This record gives sequence, structure tokens and C-alpha cells, in this order.
Amino acid sequence: MRKMTRRVVSLCCCIAMAASVTACGGGTKTEQTQQDTTAGKQGEKTDAEKTGGPSVEDGEITVMVPPWAEPSQELLNSFTADTGIKVTMNIVGWDDIRNKVSIAAVGKKAPADVIEVDWSWVGEFGAADWFEPINLTEDEKADMPTVSSFQYGDNIIALPYANDFRLGYFNQEHFKKIGMDQAPENWDDMIKACKKIKADGICEYPLSFTLSATEAATTSLIWMTMSRYGDFFNSDFSVNKDNVIASLTSIDKIVKEDKLIDPASQNMKDVEVYEKITTGAASFMVGPTYFIGRINNPEYSSVVGQLSPLLIPGNGTTKTATFALPEGIGISKYSENKGAALKFVQWYTSPDIQVQLYKDQGSIPTRTEALQELIDDGIMVDGQVMVDQSQYIVSPFPGGIPSWYAEMSNTIYNSVNQMVTGSLTPEQAYEKISAKVNELNQ
Amino acid sequence: MKRKLTPYIMLAPGTILMLVLVFYPILRTFLYSLQRMKLTEPGNTKFIGLQNYIMIFKDPDFWYALSNSAVILVSVVLFTAVVGMLIALLLNVDTKIKGVLMAVAIIPWSLPPIVNGVMWRWIFHPSYGLMNRVLINLYVISEPVQWLSERWSVILIVALVVAWRCIPFCSIVILSAMQSIPTQVYESACIDGSNNFQTFKRITLPLLMPSLGIVLTSTSITAINVFDEIVSLSGYGDVSKTLMLQAYLKTFSFLDYGLGSAMTYIIMVVAGVLGLIYIRNVYKEVDYI
Repeated sequence: MRKMTRRVVSLCCCIAMAASVTACGGGTKTEQTQQDTTAGKQGEKTDAEKTGGPSVEDGEITVMVPPWAEPSQELLNSFTADTGIKVTMNIVGWDDIRNKVSIAAVGKKAPADVIEVDWSWVGEFGAADWFEPINLTEDEKADMPTVSSFQYGDNIIALPYANDFRLGYFNQEHFKKIGMDQAPENWDDMIKACKKIKADGICEYPLSFTLSATEAATTSLIWMTMSRYGDFFNSDFSVNKDNVIASLTSIDKIVKEDKLIDPASQNMKDVEVYEKITTGAASFMVGPTYFIGRINNPEYSSVVGQLSPLLIPGNGTTKTATFALPEGIGISKYSENKGAALKFVQWYTSPDIQVQLYKDQGSIPTRTEALQELIDDGIMVDGQVMVDQSQYIVSPFPGGIPSWYAEMSNTIYNSVNQMVTGSLTPEQAYEKISAKVNELNQ
Repeated sequence: MKRKLTPYIMLAPGTILMLVLVFYPILRTFLYSLQRMKLTEPGNTKFIGLQNYIMIFKDPDFWYALSNSAVILVSVVLFTAVVGMLIALLLNVDTKIKGVLMAVAIIPWSLPPIVNGVMWRWIFHPSYGLMNRVLINLYVISEPVQWLSERWSVILIVALVVAWRCIPFCSIVILSAMQSIPTQVYESACIDGSNNFQTFKRITLPLLMPSLGIVLTSTSITAINVFDEIVSLSGYGDVSKTLMLQAYLKTFSFLDYGLGSAMTYIIMVVAGVLGLIYIRNVYKEVDYI
């Protein structure tokens, strides 16, 4: 009897263990935080239901975004109250989102209904056809210039919610000390000014520039080429030899001969390099638009009142140039709640919500209407420079962002890094980049 | 009949779990490695046999990554074995603070690898790292050294960081093996006139071989699989690329599941061969009599 009891107990334990492991493997996929919003009181019809809004089956969605894109609970509640759609937020690290999307897509599953889409992923996601096309009117497209970054072929696969492009920032005090009230408008004069700043002992490394083997080195090479020399790519997607070699050579010279860039930048993350200007350790940088809210914020800057934004210098012929690096949200092709997901995407990128998101978390609006409202109301200081720079946004990629962007970027930033550490000459770096692009483009 | 079935029923859940969570993914990965499978070209997936493996072996980047991995492996194993042994010998001495010393010795092992990497990155940071500060203050160098920009310096730093993490496990295993050696063996050796070095060489070391085999196998696998520390220290740059980093980039950055799976299989085979070598040549049954 005892033996029998022991056997039964052992068997039950084994089954319980197997069942618990199976249970742990299933269930909803939620990450760091989960928020569930419900509309109104139970039993009461929502406005959406009264006006024939989304059906019960379409009334619940999951949204996967990085931490900085999470809207406040009040905003989510207002969305649910207006539409009757429940929203569950999956907050995931930016670096992990792309992996989750790709892995889920292999199994034809959606990790969430609405998902973050970075500009650099558009080529891959578009080629893999993982996102639902979104229709916009011409007026809407005109109000959101950066939406072109999320176009793959004829389809818009995401709407931008956070505007980012490159903008110049300079330390007025450093330039005043060398007799300049305004920063130069072209690169040759800017380099001369930085040399004088260094020579006069005002700042040891006046130019802040990312040289590490990270994505920022790729975008830095691209905007430097565009603003100083011209197109990075030819119309057939080959690399423009004259412009890119000139750009690489100038960077190499600035690092090794002029010594205007801190050698430590060879191994520093982009954020660490950008923050040099807010600590007074740099006189000029080209950086993200969100620094507009930081350069004179005592929480982030130790040189409050000294920094100002400006247009990226040109080359005398070209006034300035920049390209957009926005973030967007799109609807998974495998979502079972596409209608509700579309409502959320449209709501999240609407002008009113963009204004509110800027006030809540500093997210720069992608709609010109929202941007202008913040500037006119005096909420966004120095915002006019940003609006002016946005007029010169050009995509460096003929025909849109390629599906092999990640592989190309890896070669570009490694080539730049190896060039500044002395392993490659500018010509060799160009050859490596060009060969890779041609290989991928075949 | 019931008696014959019962053990199989008991083994069933564990077996099923192993099959589903271990063997099936291994088999599936192998099948992916035989295909051209780029997620950005879903309509272009096709069977290509061993082409992925051939492409990998022809790629200079693979041999570069392999050489980096080999240097890290040798450095980590040597450093871990030697320092681990020394620490085990120290901990084997009976002192009042033995417990405290043991707790301190375990700290590196308890840190997650990514925390480990971030901590050492601050030590070797090119601008305001502790190492540069100390050396500048001691007038050894006049300008900060770019520790993480040059290939061999970053590889050796990675090896140091990984070894630092592995040493506690190594020393604990060796210590427990030391403590299980009967004292009578040492007494006999002492009576026969053996000095400390001879005792260590002829008695302690041979009797520690089984534990050393376990430690070497574990450390080698850790060294081959190093990922978190490299990414924390120097990112995804080519300079410090290892096999694991290469496999990760191919699979999750470039979305080439075919090539990435092939690379993963190569890593698995390398780790398996190393393990086999250790088990056959280092691990032996010991008889204290």
C-alpha cells in the first residue's frame, strides 16, 4: 500500500512538473510593463459602440514600443474612452524589438498588433512584407515630411511619431572668444574656427563626432558627405566615389592631423559623444533633434545658456543638407486586429497627441502643424531652426532604404572606425564600402 | 508489467522536454543551415546543401573571428586554471577569515556577464577610465591609451574579464576536490620525505585531474560562447569580432538565418570537440588508495 501511495505521489509530481512547464511556455507575451485600459463603466455603451465603431473582436490591441514612446495612462484612457479599444502596452528595449519582429514573423505571428518601426528597418521589413500598408492623403503626407522615410515601394508601412534628423549645435561662448558672434555656415570656415578654438586653448577637442564601430558612425559619414560634398549614392545605388573619398579623407585629416576630434570617440557610444557638447568639452557637433530640449536644460547640460542650435554647415554652394532618422509605428501583417490597430496609429500620430507627447516626454513631433503650434506657443524654444533645417531633409537612398541596410551599415561603420584607428587608408575604406554595397545590390 | 513501465513513465516528462527543447531545435537549426534563408527574401528560401558551410569557410571574416576566439580561449583557460588553482590553494589554508575570503572570491561569478562587461568598460574607458587615470597619475603614460580600439589589447582585455568571471567557479571546484583528498596520503608522502613541490606535483595535481577536466571544459565553453562582455566592452565592431558575435550578426542583424545557423553549428562542433578532448585526456577516475 505504501509503495503504491509513493508511486502515485511520484507520478502526480511528474505530471504536475510537466504541466507547469507547458503552462509557463504559453500565455500572453508581455514584457516589462503591461497596462490594460478599459473604457467607461461596465454595461455602458461607449461612444464607439453607439456610432458603430470597432466590433468586440477588433476592440483590443497590443502595442510594442521602446520606453521613450510609451504614452501616459491618461492618454491611453482617453483613447479607449473615444474608441472603445483596449490597449495593452508591451514596453521592450529598442534593440530587442527588431529581433522579436523577425523571429515572430518566421512563424507568421505578430509579436504585437502595433509595433515600433525604426527608419533603418524599413527596407528589411518592407522587403519581407511584414507590415500592413497605410493610406494617407496628400495633405497628410505634406504635414508629415518624414513619412517618406517609411515608404517602401508604393506603400507606407509605418507613420512617424518621433522626428529625428541631424541638426548643428554650437557653443556660443567658445566662438565668441575667437571673435565670432555667429557660427560659420560652411564646413571650411567651421574647421578653421575649430582649429583656432583649439590653438587658443579654449577647447582641446572642439569637434564632437562619432567614430566608433556603431550605427552613429554610418549616419555621420552620410550627413557629412551630403552636406559637404554631395550625394552619397549614385542613382544606381553605387557609392559616389569622389564625394565619399573626399568625406573620408577630410574626417581622417580632422582626426589625425588637425586633432580636432577626441581620440576616445573611436570607442565611445554615440550618446557619450553627443554629451560632450553639454559638458562644455566640445564646441560644435551635429546631433539629434532631441538635443534641442537638452542643451539649455540644467538637468542635462552644465553649460546652460551657452549652446544654440544651427543649420548644419554647407559647402558654400549647398546651404545645408540633412536626412531624417525618425521612428514610427506600423501594423503587423499578422495582426488579427488591423482595424483597431489603424485607429491607434492614426490617433498616436495626430497633431494634438504629438503636442501632448512632446510636453510629456520630449518627443519631437513629426507633423509640421504640431511643431508650429509648439513653437508659436513658446513651448519649444529654438524650434524655428528645426523647422528651417527640416526644409532641407533629403533621403540619401535612391529608391528608398534598402533591405540590406543593416549589413551595409556594419561595413560602413567598421570601415570608418578602422580608418581612424590607422588600419585602413581613406581609399581602402571607400573600396571596402563600395565593394560591399555592390555585392549587396546585386 | 507495471514494474517495467513505471520507470519509463517517470522518465517520460524529462525526455519529452529534452526532445522538444533541446534535440528538436538542434535538428531544426541544422535544417536551416542547409537552406538559403534570408528573412528579407521570404520567397527565395531553398535547399542549397552545404553551400552555407562552404561560404563560411571561404570568408576571411570567419578565420579572423576564429583566431580571435582561439586567442580568447587559450588565454582564458590558462589564466583561469593557474589563478584558480592558486586561489584554491590559498582558500585551503585554515584561517579565521576563510569564510569571508570565500564569499569575496565568489563575487565575480555572481555578476551577470553584461554587468561584468559594463564594469570593466568603465575601468578601461578611453576618456575617464580608472586604468588611464591611475597610469597617468603614476606618470607611466602622458595621454590616455585607447585600450578598446586596438585588436590585441581588446581581445586580451576580454580574456581577462571572462577569466575573472570564471576563476571563482574553478577555484571552488578545485578546492572541494582538494578537500576530499584524504590526509593520510599527504602523511605518507611526508613520511617518505616529499617536499611541498613534490607533494603538489606527484599527489595533489594528479588527484585533481578529474575536477580540472570539468573546469577546463566549462571554461572553454564559456570562452567560446563569450558575447555579453565583448558587446559591453567594444560593441559589434569588427576589431573584436568572435565566432559567437559573427553568428549573432549574421542571424539577427543581417537576418540571414541559413548562414547564421551554419555558423552556430560550427561553434557547437568546435565546443563539442574541445569537450571530448578534455574528457578523454584530462578526466580520469582516481583511486586514493
